[in-house]
Amino acid sequence: MKPAPFDYARAESLDEAVRLLSGADGDARPLAGGQSLGPMLNLRIARPALLVDLSPIAELREVSEDEDGVTIGASVVHSAVEDGEVPDVTGGLMRRAASGIAYRAVRNRGTVAGSLAHADPAGDWAPVTMALGASLGVTGPEGRRTVAADAFITDPLTTVLEPGEIVEAIRVPRLSGTARWGHYKLCVKPGDFAESLAVVVRDPDRDRCRVALAGPTHAPILLDGVAGLVAEASGWSDALADEIKDAAGGGIAAAGFADADDRYAMNVHATVTVRAAREALSR
Amino acid sequence: MTSTTISVNGRTVTADVEPRLSLADFLREHEGLTGTHTACEHGVCGACTIMLDDRPARSCITLAVAAHGAEVRTVEGYDGDETMATIRESFKKAHAVQCGYCTPGMLATAYDIVTRLPDADRDRIRLELAGNLCRCTGYIGIVDAIEMTLAEIRGGS
Amino acid sequence: MSDRGVGASIARKEDDRFLMGTGEFTPDVQLPGMWHAAFNRAQIAHGRLVSVKAPSGAEGQVFTSADMADIKPIRSTASFPGFKGADFPVLARDKVRYAGEQVAIAVAPTRAEAEDIADSIEVEYEELPAVVDMNDGREPSAALVHDHWADNVCCETQFENGDLEPARAAAVHTIHRRFRMARQTPFPMEGRGTLAHYDSRLDELVVWMSHQLPHPMQRGIAHFLGLEINNVRVICPDVGGGFGLKTHLDGETMAVCWTSLKLGRPIKWIQDRLEHLTCDADCRNHQYTMTAYTDEIGKILGMEVECVVDAGAYSPWPWPIGVEAATGVGNLQGPYTVDALKGRSVTVCTNKPPSQPFRGVARPGACFTDELTMDAIARTVGREPWDVRLDNLVPPAAMPYDTVTRKHLDSGDYPEAFRRCVAAIDPESVRERQKTPEPDGRLIGVGFACFYEQTAYGTGPFGYSAWGIELVPGMEMATVKLTPDGGLWASVGIQCHGQGLETTLAQVAASELGIDPERIAIRHGDTATAYAGTGTYASRSIVVAGGAVAQGCRELKPRLARIGAHLLQCDEADVAVENAEVRGPGGSVTFDEIAEAFYHHPENLPDDTDRGGLTVATGYNDKVHGGVFGFGAHGAVVAVDPDTGQVEILDYAIVDDCGTRVNPLVVKGQVIGGYAQGIGNALYEESDYDENGQPLSVTLADYHVPAAPMVPDIKYDYMESPSPYTTMGIKGVGESGAIGPVGAIGNAVNDALKGLGVEIAETPITPRRVFDAIERGRAR
Ligand SMILES: Cc1cc2nc3c(=O)[nH]c(=O)nc-3n(C[C@H](O)[C@H](O)[C@H](O)COP(=O)(O)OP(=O)(O)OC[C@H]3O[C@@H](n4cnc5c(N)ncnc54)[C@H](O)[C@@H]3O)c2cc1C
Ligand code: FES
Ligand code: FES
Repeated sequence: MKPAPFDYARAESLDEAVRLLSGADGDARPLAGGQSLGPMLNLRIARPALLVDLSPIAELREVSEDEDGVTIGASVVHSAVEDGEVPDVTGGLMRRAASGIAYRAVRNRGTVAGSLAHADPAGDWAPVTMALGASLGVTGPEGRRTVAADAFITDPLTTVLEPGEIVEAIRVPRLSGTARWGHYKLCVKPGDFAESLAVVVRDPDRDRCRVALAGPTHAPILLDGVAGLVAEASGWSDALADEIKDAAGGGIAAAGFADADDRYAMNVHATVTVRAAREALSR
Repeated sequence: MTSTTISVNGRTVTADVEPRLSLADFLREHEGLTGTHTACEHGVCGACTIMLDDRPARSCITLAVAAHGAEVRTVEGYDGDETMATIRESFKKAHAVQCGYCTPGMLATAYDIVTRLPDADRDRIRLELAGNLCRCTGYIGIVDAIEMTLAEIRGGS
Repeated sequence: MSDRGVGASIARKEDDRFLMGTGEFTPDVQLPGMWHAAFNRAQIAHGRLVSVKAPSGAEGQVFTSADMADIKPIRSTASFPGFKGADFPVLARDKVRYAGEQVAIAVAPTRAEAEDIADSIEVEYEELPAVVDMNDGREPSAALVHDHWADNVCCETQFENGDLEPARAAAVHTIHRRFRMARQTPFPMEGRGTLAHYDSRLDELVVWMSHQLPHPMQRGIAHFLGLEINNVRVICPDVGGGFGLKTHLDGETMAVCWTSLKLGRPIKWIQDRLEHLTCDADCRNHQYTMTAYTDEIGKILGMEVECVVDAGAYSPWPWPIGVEAATGVGNLQGPYTVDALKGRSVTVCTNKPPSQPFRGVARPGACFTDELTMDAIARTVGREPWDVRLDNLVPPAAMPYDTVTRKHLDSGDYPEAFRRCVAAIDPESVRERQKTPEPDGRLIGVGFACFYEQTAYGTGPFGYSAWGIELVPGMEMATVKLTPDGGLWASVGIQCHGQGLETTLAQVAASELGIDPERIAIRHGDTATAYAGTGTYASRSIVVAGGAVAQGCRELKPRLARIGAHLLQCDEADVAVENAEVRGPGGSVTFDEIAEAFYHHPENLPDDTDRGGLTVATGYNDKVHGGVFGFGAHGAVVAVDPDTGQVEILDYAIVDDCGTRVNPLVVKGQVIGGYAQGIGNALYEESDYDENGQPLSVTLADYHVPAAPMVPDIKYDYMESPSPYTTMGIKGVGESGAIGPVGAIGNAVNDALKGLGVEIAETPITPRRVFDAIERGRAR
């Protein structure tokens, strides 16, 4: 299986990338690691007229840390996070998440920004960044803007990016020393996309508690009801587990995240949420 | 056609290629390096795994034009490499090869495990191998071979 | 006897080229002027072809069945009762019968360009209702897959032996179950591939194929193209796995051959993974309805069974529809002393890709059925399943034993092998563990499976020859030659695609002649080098090709002795041929020296030198024709997560007996490789279709092949019960490992679920199926 023909250009700067992407009659696409685009091209599901390779752009490879968090350039790959080359401001959550994505050979090429932009509903970075309250810096023909991670993916394979817009960097706020998190990914085989993936971040010092859930059929969601229970909790108990399971079920049903008649899917998502919460509250 | 310049097993190659040409097909068809195999062409099976700038990567979903400026090392490119020689010897001893189709990709991943994770135990080896499918061996021989290699390297240093 | 001969765990001779990346698989072969082929494939599962229109500018690059009127459609034959034949057109003609069926071939200088053209071929269909499920296909209202048939049932077989009436009458318990195996695919890492090229010097169509059966393919290609065998050569170079998939003649290959001849240029088609998962032959899709009659302690008195097989749309050549069903029913009693069995099989055509035997043929289905039945019996009679098994297994004193399905089990101590497996698993400790709930809430279960493996099937009366099919294995040939420098060259008609036969056949020859395996070349997979053969399948090659190579060596010996004795100036009766030399009372002469004399100094030869020289073409035929039987016992301990339905294998033990082990390392490798595939069968692999017959598992994101973390280490043990019937007592072992897991894991899961009063009866045992079963249990 070989891709349909396309043109290819290497962008040397962000401006050039934006310019190139605004051409090709709207049929141009950025190329990052190619780890999602590659399969789509080979299956001829994606048939762009032009690919604009972002990898030569030096500024997209930058990582900068400050008191409040870290800014991760769009070309930073999963394995750089996994290996701790990106300063971990999340007490290990980012590293754990990175190491569970696909396989090393894929992580060496695939980028955090590319993953978010691809918006696979079961992708790992969306729920992680949503639970962390991260945001995305976006550049386009109309200039720069910032989008909250929880507002970025609207539907499976769909984001708020306008034609010609590029994700420049991801801004991840620093967790306080007392923050705790939980991360549970259920998949058939390690490295697969998740059947269900929940991330719980509880940071009382910053007065923040967020629970995000991702799965194969619906854009990732925040489960505010569960977050409320986790924020209030003072330890783990079976009763709390039941409460969380119910709250998760309610949130999942309300969002239409899974088919309410599909008892298996409903149960799996709720169970995964409980397990992520348990990790956060048992640490 | 787009020009791409790639160092292939230490030799610099410049070629004009169709942008849609994968690095795997470039290596196989333009460079005659048919040791790199493809078995899914969407990044899952690992058969096409090669070293790109000293890190394992999928050559089926890397475009030849996107590998411009990179150093590629294929299964044919390990002459004189002692680590790979040890891995190969262990693969033979542990019967880690049957049909041989997955083997070049397995070797690339094994090389990465052995060099990056010197303390890997069997569970970790299995986890790291999750992205390389083998339909013949049932993996146990491959895990044995990598474990043997690690032990040998530990014993030797 | 060489210490690197039979019984030695030597490293494989073929490993070096694979480890260096210098193996040569079909996709690796490049020829000057070669073009690539891609296929336009049916988008619907069932419909009439109204029109096929090539894009403009692609003249001479697109061909359809209308162009190939001179190719005969592929058609298989069988004498099964009620067998209905149907043409398997090389490219769809009039109708498409499964999604992905090849409609047109497009060729171009690169694969990508060929795909561009194939993509832009416009095909108009008149869609018809699709027959998707085998049970629906039996309904009178079902659409007809083949219009000229009265219904979709394409073959029915009956089998009855022993008297079931007394069994029924005496039965204290009657256990009734229905089991189902999902469709799956053999999934060799290298897919199919064909490169055809006309060699004008030899007037020969040379076909490189990723295939297991070179000679049958030569015959089929010649026949369907209307050529003489002399004008077709088939080369199966290195082959990246087969597992039974690569045993039939595919339409794509025929279309590639035809197009290559038509255009006078080499044409290569490499099946990609999407094609493999969408429309290559599938397997295993069986449904068994079992009734077992037992006494009060669970001894089986008789069985009644119906097996329904989903054959897909066409009967492949040379294995026709019906082989699966007949094999399924023909093994249902397993390795047990059952006296009466009545079986019926029904094979149904559906709008899905053809089905094809996969490692184990129907035996994994039979094993799933009889082993899960065995545990159901144990639960019914209130005994432990290992105790009930021991009461039913064929005892060693009964060997050789003729089963109710007329399998002649030749040797082995089945109960002892099983006891060792039980000891390795220690089920009593699992029973202890089950008494207290697990801290993580998971449910623990233990299960076993016993099976025999029928290997090296010959012309036996209850198989191939009785089925009236095109390919009946029997005599297997080898050519063995002492080379001019004293090495050995042997060519065989089998094909090695991972089994290590280049090494193990060399070990057999090494044992006969004492030549080091390093100096023995085994040539296979090429109709130009091997005299005859039917290829590699059904765990036969080491037995039959091994037997033929050994026979060749044995026939060479007196010839070597005569020349050796002459060179030693002693009596022929006083010499021994061993250790690569001929030894006489006063000294010895090496094979190198004998070869030197024969090839280069005939003046030194005796006058009565055998005119056959130092080459022997000979063959092997089993003393029995129904195969020889290996045995295996598998045991598993699993943990079932009731909240997610996930099953984890905590412990696994295998005790296997394949008679004399030619190379223990290779034997173990075969067993483990099969075990991994069995795990896929049991837990993960399913080729799913929607209600319109659209395939749902067309990439590896949806078709789950076990990866390393899903295949845990095993406790492995073996027994060695040589076959009384074969050369050196060798039995085959290729399929064994793949048969047991579905039974052992299935039983372990059911043991975990038994507190809920539910059973799983369908593969794969996915989290969803487990969860649904648990829900049913909780609702009770
Ligand atoms: C076998 C396999 C398993 C995988 N398993 C997982 C998994 O378990 N979890 C998971 O999360 N992911 C998984 N992935 C996907 C992986 O994480 C990819 O790396 C990621 O989805 C895409 O990143 P990329 O850099 O390769 O982007 P590309 O493939 O290059 O691009 C992806 C999409 O994003 C667009 N894009 C890329 N960069 C930008 C940008 N800066 N601005 C705007 N648009 C952009 C592209 O145009 C394209 O549409 C898997 C991939 C493979 C091959
Ligand atoms: S061929 Fe590249 S991962 Fe399968
Ligand atoms: S050895 Fe055949 S796929 Fe690994």
